[in-house]
Amino acid sequence: MKRGRPVLAAAILAALSTGCAGATGVSSSSSGLPDWSGEWQQVGATPNPDGGFDDSLSKVLKEMDWSPPMKPALRAKVDEIDAAERKEMEAVLHGANPGGAVVACTFGYPAIMLDSPLMFEVVTSPQETALIFSSREIRTVYTDGRQHPGKDDLWPTAWGDSIGHWEGQTLVIDTIAVTAPAGFGAHEGTPVLAFGGIEQSLLITFLSPQAHFIERLRMTDKNHLRDDMTVIDPVNFTKPWHLTRTYERVTTIHRMVYEDCEGSDRNPIVNGHFTLAPPPDEVTAPATR
Amino acid sequence: MSRARRQAWLIVVATFVAASAAAAHHSFTMFDQSKKVTLDGTVKEFLWTNPHVFIQLLVKNERGKEDEWSIEMTSPEHLARAGWRPGTLKPGEKVTIVIHPLHGNQKGGEYLSGIGPNGPLLGAPPPGPGR
Repeated sequence: MKRGRPVLAAAILAALSTGCAGATGVSSSSSGLPDWSGEWQQVGATPNPDGGFDDSLSKVLKEMDWSPPMKPALRAKVDEIDAAERKEMEAVLHGANPGGAVVACTFGYPAIMLDSPLMFEVVTSPQETALIFSSREIRTVYTDGRQHPGKDDLWPTAWGDSIGHWEGQTLVIDTIAVTAPAGFGAHEGTPVLAFGGIEQSLLITFLSPQAHFIERLRMTDKNHLRDDMTVIDPVNFTKPWHLTRTYERVTTIHRMVYEDCEGSDRNPIVNGHFTLAPPPDEVTAPATR
Repeated sequence: MSRARRQAWLIVVATFVAASAAAAHHSFTMFDQSKKVTLDGTVKEFLWTNPHVFIQLLVKNERGKEDEWSIEMTSPEHLARAGWRPGTLKPGEKVTIVIHPLHGNQKGGEYLSGIGPNGPLLGAPPPGPGR
């Protein structure tokens, strides 16, 4: 088994590399698949020099076409959580508590496709397409004709299980078995968030483990990818939920820069509040490669 | 708006994630969002580190001695997309930086904007693919 791994890895890399040439979105190899190479970011999640992000909630909602058809029970639960969130935000803003600390870089699916500040790459091949995010999360979409694992081989993860097929230049992705990332209040279900500034409405909904996702990912022009997503969740929704997300090409850097949430921590919590610690004696190696 | 959106993201996500003393991403409420301070100083170090980047800045105080300020920025990934690079700032460079200061008297703050020897602080134009 161990001897076979390098061979398998080499085969996968060779297969993935077939779709890497070029940067215009036109078919780049004999496979006839589109070339989606380069770095991408969600429209509305473009960092500013001060580290903030552009765009208001209203723009993000318009972009996403946010209208989850929640059943009454979920609606009530979401309203309750929304009220608690507003209270939490007020407390944080007024210094009543330090606000939360996020250790994990895991966003999970579908959040990573819908409202995250991460950039990503897309590597296409006939056998599979890999979406590689700056949090080092990877969505693997098998397009070799296989089916989802059977009941005894399937378990829920933060990214689910994805299979797909190509319809021309559109990648159709079918995803099941999604659960919330570790620590994300999994008892409520998988959260889907949309938010703008603190002064604006916060919107949340939750998905059950039975949620089934169908995406149609395609390039609309050489600088934009569009994902049309349908969420079918008979437990929480009255009907399928259709969302849209557009991704734009990153023009300020042309290689991946990874997040590392477990890097040097200079913000320890002291007496219940975040603080700023002195610099380390030694400079940490640069994060870019 | 933009900073508020980041604040919201951090707080909302944090609500769903178990808190830990090993805070990687956190709300920036340790900084006084109602105040802005302008610092004229000399770069001691530009720490291009995950999860957040820091500028160590030497600033003369009213007694004529230098204080070292720690100025916290966002992640290298976000800064890189905003045009910054590990070499954007170099030790010895004179800069003017605007921050939200820490609550209290500690010498530190949250980066808002800056001006270097060549104007507003941003990195060099990015090399294209294959270059």
